[in-house]
Amino acid sequence: MNNNLFSWILLILSSLVLLFILAPLAGMFLDTGSSEFMQTVGDKEVQDSIWLTLWVSFAATFVFAFASIPLAWILARKNFPLKQVVQGVIDLPVVLPHTAAGIAVLGFISRDGFLGKTADALGLTLVNNPAGIALAMAFVSVPFLINSARDGFATVPERLEKAALTLGASPSRVFFTISLPLAWRSVMTGFVMMFARGMSEFGAVVIVAYHPTIAPVLIYERFSSFGLKYARPASVLFIIVALAVFILLRLISLKKKEIHLSPDAEA
Amino acid sequence: MLKLKNINRKFGDFSLSEINLDITEGEYYVLLGRSGSGKTLLLELIAGLSIPDSGEIWINNQNVTGKKIQERSVGLVFQDYSIFPNMTVFGNIAYPLHSRKMKKEVITGKVNRIAGEMNISNILDRFTQNLSGGELQRVALARTLVNSPRLLLLDEPLASIDASLKDDLKRTFRQLNRNGLTIIHVTHDYREAVSLAGRVGVIHNGHIIQEGTPEKVFNEPVNRFVARYAGIRNFFRVKFFRENAFWKAVCNGNFVFNIAGNGFPAEGLIILKSSDIKIVTSEPVERFDNSFRGTVLEINPSEYGMEVTVDAGETFYACLPIDEFKLLQIRESSTVWITFSRSSAIALPGSG
Repeated sequence: MNNNLFSWILLILSSLVLLFILAPLAGMFLDTGSSEFMQTVGDKEVQDSIWLTLWVSFAATFVFAFASIPLAWILARKNFPLKQVVQGVIDLPVVLPHTAAGIAVLGFISRDGFLGKTADALGLTLVNNPAGIALAMAFVSVPFLINSARDGFATVPERLEKAALTLGASPSRVFFTISLPLAWRSVMTGFVMMFARGMSEFGAVVIVAYHPTIAPVLIYERFSSFGLKYARPASVLFIIVALAVFILLRLISLKKKEIHLSPDAEA
Repeated sequence: MLKLKNINRKFGDFSLSEINLDITEGEYYVLLGRSGSGKTLLLELIAGLSIPDSGEIWINNQNVTGKKIQERSVGLVFQDYSIFPNMTVFGNIAYPLHSRKMKKEVITGKVNRIAGEMNISNILDRFTQNLSGGELQRVALARTLVNSPRLLLLDEPLASIDASLKDDLKRTFRQLNRNGLTIIHVTHDYREAVSLAGRVGVIHNGHIIQEGTPEKVFNEPVNRFVARYAGIRNFFRVKFFRENAFWKAVCNGNFVFNIAGNGFPAEGLIILKSSDIKIVTSEPVERFDNSFRGTVLEINPSEYGMEVTVDAGETFYACLPIDEFKLLQIRESSTVWITFSRSSAIALPGSG
């Protein structure tokens, strides 16, 4: 097969995949009339659900980052018994059916579950509450943050951390001044991926909380109650807002100057 | 100043075993060894980055074996400098001072002073990506010295430096040592040991196999490995025997060396420095301890002049200064005589 023909085949196959992704989205945008769209923009219920989706997903990502980023560093740096099992546990939510993940989270946060009971004692109900939604979102999306941050920490040469220790820095100072800044790009990529994945979650959230309604649940509710035509404008608006936030976060997180790291020298 | 007592440390398939070292205050000690010999691991043990499986580390009469890195007053300059790429040169040098929570004015003063001493005042505001090897080494040194360590550990500090800058850095190390700083310098290059060390230790497969002044170690290597390090290329496996009052060594059954000393075992090695072999183009009239006729196989430029390879029944490598070489007017396949004194042939017992 000559090179030219092979290039054409590659181009056609690649275009078909891109078309497969773009065509339904473009169709949805084109099929949405401007008056219907503007009506949806002004719809308080839609506005509230998109806002709820954004802030709950962001809050879940932010809160879980505090524990997940140190865990990612441990996975990148330390060897311990059953490390592979721990890594498998972290990846588990990615392979579970999301409704099954929702059932698991519901069992944990309902009044019969450990967390539910504890929250109940503090006067907080997690089911049908933004806190419960955040937990469901985090359950399915936290592997994206941990894995990306772990890969980032693994690329930071260990000898830089050792050098900082010999210069009198405490382990926590080494983490905050060397490890984290040098792995920043991967950590932020993981942060954005977790946020985006949490924002788009439907299966797990719908089981934990139908109300308050996040955007994916609202779209499903409108589709099942009123049909495709009624669900479409809300979908378009949510996609536009989600894309805008996603692009903005990527720009903010990647604005930091790229730092080239050389691999560890021979010990 | 520093005492290592029976240090053992296993690291995968490799182990440092029974390391004993005694470094006095103000000493310049060069640890010489190939890559993988354990020299970097030994530095990490002294610095506290790694903990020995057994044995003790004493610094300034204090047992620091289990102590934190931060409590050892030891500065370590890594082979690749390990400059933090997310900070400027100033940020790098100020890093240890920030760790000690010093005031901003004090930090600025200290950084400026050490940068002046290291000749890097002009690059303090720069990020480190585009600095040369020599500049990075000076930044790494400044960053370590600003912390006023009692003991400076240098891991292959000249390995990635241009030849033209090496002398400058050597001068800096000598000056630091003259000012009282105790230095342990790890290298694979015996020339660094010759030019810098007050004392040399040769490390091989996790053992220190010989220690002493550079003169002692390189003139009286204990085995073939150390001899190779001294740049010696002439090795001959021999059987020793005594003839009348003198000892001799025979190589491959018929090649006889006259050697100095006595009381040799049955077998061993003869080693001979390239610079101790003389070459003449006609049979020597005066009587030499050792004189052999041979043919020039190869002539190659070497660091100190020209290296002439001669086949005289056994292969000899002789190193001649350029002037001497020019006077000889020899070329490949010329017939020559090689001569060397009895005392130049260093006899080592065992198989080396």
